[in-house]
This record gives sequence, C-alpha cells and structure tokens, in this order.
Amino acid sequence: MEYDLRAMDREIKLIDESARRLRELGSGIETVEKNVDSILAFTFLLKRNISDVVE
Amino acid sequence: MKPTEKNKKYWNPIIETLPRERLLQIELKRFRELLRWAKDNSPFYGRKLHGIEPEDIRTMEDVAKVPMTEKDELRAAQEGKEPYLYGDLLAVPPERLSIFHQTSGTTGKPVYIPDTYESWQWVVEVWCYILYAAGFRAQDRVFLPFAYNVYIAFWQGHYAAEKLGCEVVPGGALDTQGRIQKMKEVKATALMNTPTYGLHLAEVAKEMGIDPKRDLNIKRMISAGEPVPEPTRLRLEEVWGADVYDHIGGTEPGGWGGMCSEKNGLHVIEPHYLFEMVDLETMSKPISPGTKGVAVITPLCRRCIPLIRFNLKDVMMVMDEPCPCGRTSLRVNQIGGRIDDLRKIRGVFFTPAVVEEVIRGQFPEVVEFETILTQEEVMPVLTLKLEFDPSIGEGQYKELRSRIKEKLKIRSNLTFEIEIVKQGGLPRYTLKSARFKDLTKR
Repeated sequence: MEYDLRAMDREIKLIDESARRLRELGSGIETVEKNVDSILAFTFLLKRNISDVVE
Repeated sequence: MKPTEKNKKYWNPIIETLPRERLLQIELKRFRELLRWAKDNSPFYGRKLHGIEPEDIRTMEDVAKVPMTEKDELRAAQEGKEPYLYGDLLAVPPERLSIFHQTSGTTGKPVYIPDTYESWQWVVEVWCYILYAAGFRAQDRVFLPFAYNVYIAFWQGHYAAEKLGCEVVPGGALDTQGRIQKMKEVKATALMNTPTYGLHLAEVAKEMGIDPKRDLNIKRMISAGEPVPEPTRLRLEEVWGADVYDHIGGTEPGGWGGMCSEKNGLHVIEPHYLFEMVDLETMSKPISPGTKGVAVITPLCRRCIPLIRFNLKDVMMVMDEPCPCGRTSLRVNQIGGRIDDLRKIRGVFFTPAVVEEVIRGQFPEVVEFETILTQEEVMPVLTLKLEFDPSIGEGQYKELRSRIKEKLKIRSNLTFEIEIVKQGGLPRYTLKSARFKDLTKR
C-alpha cells in the first residue's frame, strides 16, 4: 500500500476545520479556546509535514 | 513511498526522501510566504524589505537579492523599543507569546527570542527530526545533565525527546557527581550534552571509580550548545562507548541540522529551513558545493520573530555526494569555526578550532586547555595553557610539550608558547565553552 497523501491531507484539513468550529462553539470558554489552539498548533505541523508535499 | 520497516529510520519518510527539486520548490514557496508575513507584521522587516515583492522571488538567485539579517540588527531592533524585550522584531501580538529564550550574549548584548505555542511546537518538531536521525527512540531513557535556564538548546531537546516517546530525566538540580549517580541509578540509555561537559562527566566518573563505558548504560549521545569537532566526537565515543552525534542550531534559528547514522556531516532539516552558502570574500555571492563559505539560514515556519537570511557567521562546506542514509537534504560540514573567531596572526589565518582538533584528536593526555592571544610590543603571541591527566607524571611533560608544539606548528603554521597548569587550574564548562581568549582587544 502506498501512502495516500491526498487522503491524509483531506483528514488534516478536516481536523483543522473541526477544531476551528469547536472554538466558535466554545468561544469565551478558556479551556476550549486554549486546547483548540494546541490542536491547531499540531495541525499546522501536519500541514507543513504532509499537506505541503501534495501538489 | 511505501510504509515499510526501512522507513522507520526516518521521522518523516515522505519529506526526508523527497527529490531535491521538490524540496526546493516547497522552500521557495514558504520563503515567499514568510517574506509577506514579515513585511506585513514585523516593523523591522517592514522597513528592511521595503521595495522587495515576495511574489518576485522564484529562484535561489532571487533569494540572494533579499538582504541578509545580521545579529547586530536584531539587537538594535530590540533595544529600547516597544513592546518591551522584543521591539520591532515581534510579528505577533505579545499576548500570544508562551516561552522566552535568549542568546548567551557571548558576542554582545543578548538577543531575546520568544515563541508562541505554535512556533515552539515547530521548533520542537524540527528537533524530532534531529533526534530521530541520531537514533533516539521511544525505548530510550534520556538524561539531560543541565539546568536549562533561559537557553534554548536543552529545552528543545527535552520536549523533542518527550514527543518521540522517550522517557526524559532532567538532571539539572544535581552536581556532576550526583548526575553520574543518577544516570547509573536510572540506567539512562541516552545523553544530551555539550561535548565539553561530556568529557568532564567522564573525567569525574573515573575519579569516582565509575568507568562510563563499562559501568553506565549510555548507548547514544547528542551534542548541543557548542560545535563538536570530529576528534572530540571520536574521543567522546571512546570514553563513553556510545554513538555520539552532532547537531547544529542556535537560539535565533532553532536547531536546523543534525547527523544521521552515517556520522558524516550534518543534514539540514529541509524544507523547514532554507540553507544558503555565500563566499568568504564578498559575503554575498552564492557558492557551489565543495567550496568553503559562510552559512546563511532562514527558518521557514517560525513566524513570531521572523528571521530572513540570517548570517550564521559559521564557516562551512556543503557536501556534494548523496548520503547513503537516503535522506535527500543538503549535508554540510562545519569546518572552519566562526568568522568572529578568525584572526590573522603574523599573516596567517588562525581559528581556535584547529587547537581543539589537534589536542582532542592526538593528545588524550590533555584534560583541559585554553588558548590566549596577547600582543607583546608589536608581535601577537599565542599561548596554549594545558592541564594534563593526573596519571601523567611530570617527567613526561617536556616530551609532551614539545610534541604538542610541533603538531600545532604543522597544523596552523604558527608557533605557540606552551604553559602547563596544575590539576584543576583551568575552568570546566557546562554550557558554551570559552577556550579562546583574545586579550589584544582590551
């Protein structure tokens, strides 16, 4: 099985979008906002490590 | 790229084996994005990059037209400027900052480098590439014999080892003997260390009746905080009976290169960094592999304090041939020390790195040394202070002194005055060593 980079990229984007939606839903709740920031820091890395390779 | 056992030698088998052209495409795209970000968000770069259009940067030749950033500029952009500490360099709102580090201030006033949570995770991620290439794995129990203080090196190492799944043992609050006892007690398998302190730990362990090779369990070591010349690296391997790896980095760019299992040069962590070399004479003209030059680095994903074409002032050479490890990133050799340390003495270029190379490579009898440059009337004088291992009898001093003098003369083309110092007479360093003192600058 080859790595399916496009599928990986799609999942990364979904996590990112989902985290941003969660932040909107929990806007003003510190624990939601700060933990979403942490998730986004890691999706940022996944984008740099995987998504950027997808042309 | 298939998921195989072989891929487990890479932290990221996708990026680490990309063809070079593709790596460069990604780096150029990121470089343009960083330029745009820096122009729009950092007052310092807003001024410095005036007239440069990020979209015009399409090739490495275009990159070379962007002005380099010097350390002095970073200091000037911070000093007396708001927001306090970071001044004009900061490109994010201060409330987003989550960690503070600073340079050691060896070459002047320290530069303060903060990170946001996001940029710090990127710094740690890059170090994961470095540790993984050096063989660090989840099974390792990693001992860090330092109080990390405000310096970035061991914080990066700590969090990257943790991210790899290693068990991290911080040994900062202990003295050297306590650290050795703790390493023995927990059966640490890996060590992060300055090379200087690695040798000192071994020296103290022996005084305690502990042979690091026989009685401790260290299988691998990574050097941080200062360069490790090849003879020193080999000496560390010998005294510890461990695989010793070098890495390269700094507070401003973060850790940007590391050694793989081939132990031959340092892989630049591409495409997280854009690496360039410029020639020694003009400090601007790009040079080709195999030629000595000065290293210039751009961390491409750290946006809170962007750094564009940072002049590292390290003399290096890019290696031409592909690495058998399969990584496609550029490999560099740190060969000439720092431009700041280069001196012209009696018409000859001298770098203190040659002293370390000769002493560590050929004279295991020497436990510590220090080179001092003074001016006597019109003539510069180089004095090498030596401290011998306690097992060396005074009867051997004369012969050793003469051999060391001769080897240094052959290697550097300069004559050294040799001074022998009593046991414990020279300082021991834990972090950055200062074995070269230029007293002509007073």
